[in-house]
Amino acid sequence: MIVENGREVLIRVRGLAKSFGSQQIWDGLNLDVFRGEILAIVGGSGQGKSVLMRVITGLVKPDKGEVSLFGQNAKALSTADRLDIEKRWGILFQDGALFSSLTVLQNIQVPMREHLDLPQAMMDDLAFLKLSMVGLPPNAAHKFPSELSGGMRKRAGLARALALDPEIVFLDEPTAGLDPIGASDFDHLLRKLQQTLGLTVYMVTHDLDTIFTVCDRVAVLADRKIVRTGSPGELQRQPNHPWIKEYFCGERARAASPPGGRAKIPISA
Amino acid sequence: MLKRDHQLVLPTQARAPGFRVELRGTTFRLIATGAWTVAEAVRLDTALKRLRVPIPPTPDFTGEMDIAGIAEIDTAGAWLLQRTANAWQASGLRTHYAGATEAFRVLIEEVQRRGNIERPKLEKPNPLTQFGEDMTKTVTSVWRDAVQLTAFLGEVTAALGRMIRQPWRFRRTSFVHHLDHAGFRAVPIIALICFLIGAVVMQQGVVQLKPFGAEPFAVNMVAILALREVGILLTAIMVAGRSGSAFTAEIGSMKMREEIDAMRTLGIDPMDTLVLPRVLALVVALPLLTFIGDIMGLAGGGLMAFVVLGLDTTNYLDKLHEAVDYLHFMAGMIKAPFAAVIIALVGCLEGLKVEGSAESLGKHVTSAVVKAIFLVIILDAVFAMFLSGIGV
Repeated sequence: MIVENGREVLIRVRGLAKSFGSQQIWDGLNLDVFRGEILAIVGGSGQGKSVLMRVITGLVKPDKGEVSLFGQNAKALSTADRLDIEKRWGILFQDGALFSSLTVLQNIQVPMREHLDLPQAMMDDLAFLKLSMVGLPPNAAHKFPSELSGGMRKRAGLARALALDPEIVFLDEPTAGLDPIGASDFDHLLRKLQQTLGLTVYMVTHDLDTIFTVCDRVAVLADRKIVRTGSPGELQRQPNHPWIKEYFCGERARAASPPGGRAKIPISA
Repeated sequence: MLKRDHQLVLPTQARAPGFRVELRGTTFRLIATGAWTVAEAVRLDTALKRLRVPIPPTPDFTGEMDIAGIAEIDTAGAWLLQRTANAWQASGLRTHYAGATEAFRVLIEEVQRRGNIERPKLEKPNPLTQFGEDMTKTVTSVWRDAVQLTAFLGEVTAALGRMIRQPWRFRRTSFVHHLDHAGFRAVPIIALICFLIGAVVMQQGVVQLKPFGAEPFAVNMVAILALREVGILLTAIMVAGRSGSAFTAEIGSMKMREEIDAMRTLGIDPMDTLVLPRVLALVVALPLLTFIGDIMGLAGGGLMAFVVLGLDTTNYLDKLHEAVDYLHFMAGMIKAPFAAVIIALVGCLEGLKVEGSAESLGKHVTSAVVKAIFLVIILDAVFAMFLSGIGV
């Protein structure tokens, strides 16, 4: 377990470098993700936000650098340890990435079936519980992903990511493509799940509303590394970097966070 | 997963989940300890199912879920606790929780609230009626397929008519692309297969005809077979497997990603852009491939004739001239454009029938190949009857 400033570091990235062909996307990237926080990764397009998530989750190999997952070096993990770690995280891909030949209920049960030996009745109970926790109506359970709307697919994908009660969830642009009401519902849902389940959330996002209402900390990807981390308010008050200034002090940011600050979604049941 | 103490790392024996039930005064207490998490859920579930629900002797008995000893809990653990509490409640014990931290309480309340929602029933049909329904569906689908294919043939013909009146609508690039993929790139495999089959048939023919002293007639057999049947059938089957499936997969994945809907809204007719170039390309390519197949079949036969009969090229060609004429060649060739239309139509139609899922794509690709090959063989049989009827 890595502890820094009295907080447990779930994921630590040090000195990461990666290039695709002649294009170097990072050089010496460092990042810490603390237990219990909602962290947003922001950055211009082409800065490798989604790739960073893929490197941390082991889908893409970095050229250089180290990734520690729950205090263990990702490179040194045996297959069995790796499997244990995969049980401790959940991932929501951009469009849910639900298995199209399975119903929503079966999708949620895939991780349970794969990693645990639960009786069917219990898997059904737990899957319905997760379904309801992400705000899907019970009649969505027996539908196929192609019969759901985009927002519902995201919720179903989140339910699958939460199937094994992970400690951390990775979200790739969770509110992209949702209408403002749907996006705001999703924000509330995230906040609520984070409180009830003690989740750590790592999300790649562009949505300023989400950043200002639910995120505890923001990490900014620019110039091939994480140039700054801090609360959304801090970044807005002291941008110290042209891209951050443009992003957090632009017209849209002012609309999302009027002077005087915007209230976070309160912590309540 | 919620921990009672964030900094605490539990030693292994303290993680072991467990519970016991005791009666103190008028209170039944379930004392839970350890880690109540999804990883331990199976063990807890079996143990809890073995636990008998206490029956209160008088109504003033109460139940208590003492969870002060629980170090870690997640939704699965909370759900197991809640299930037990509900069972106790149902037997007449008023049950409450004790020793919950604020975070635990929030989770348990959430699980309680979410766990009580009504579930839709998944109706399991009677296997006999299911069998009957499947049977009916399959039988009627044959008829429906025939109607759809005929209608599609009509649509394609209409699109072709439109294109002839407005020739600038013809998609030349697409046509050439498909001519390349379905035609030119199929040459090596079709040449090889026809060559090998020609050789095999010649060798077998000689072996079988030898006892009758009729082995020179093996050349006649191979020549007629290659030109009338083997060349066209092998080529058509190969093309159905190669290009018919590719047509379905291409059009099907475009359908899945709403590209076809996008085309329609942009005023582009998928018939013009997707279906016609493929159909026309195949109508041109298949006769050419069949010709190559015919020649390679004869060449394969020639090689074997040299090996087993000792016929050199000149003699072999002379014998071919005696055995077959132009009509035999045409009897095979005439089928090629018809087979091409069938393969392309079935491939495109199945592609357009693909729905949202990857499974549906796979199903339609398979059925495109199966239907195309089946229909090509039917076509061959019809032609065989027709041609022998007119004496060719």
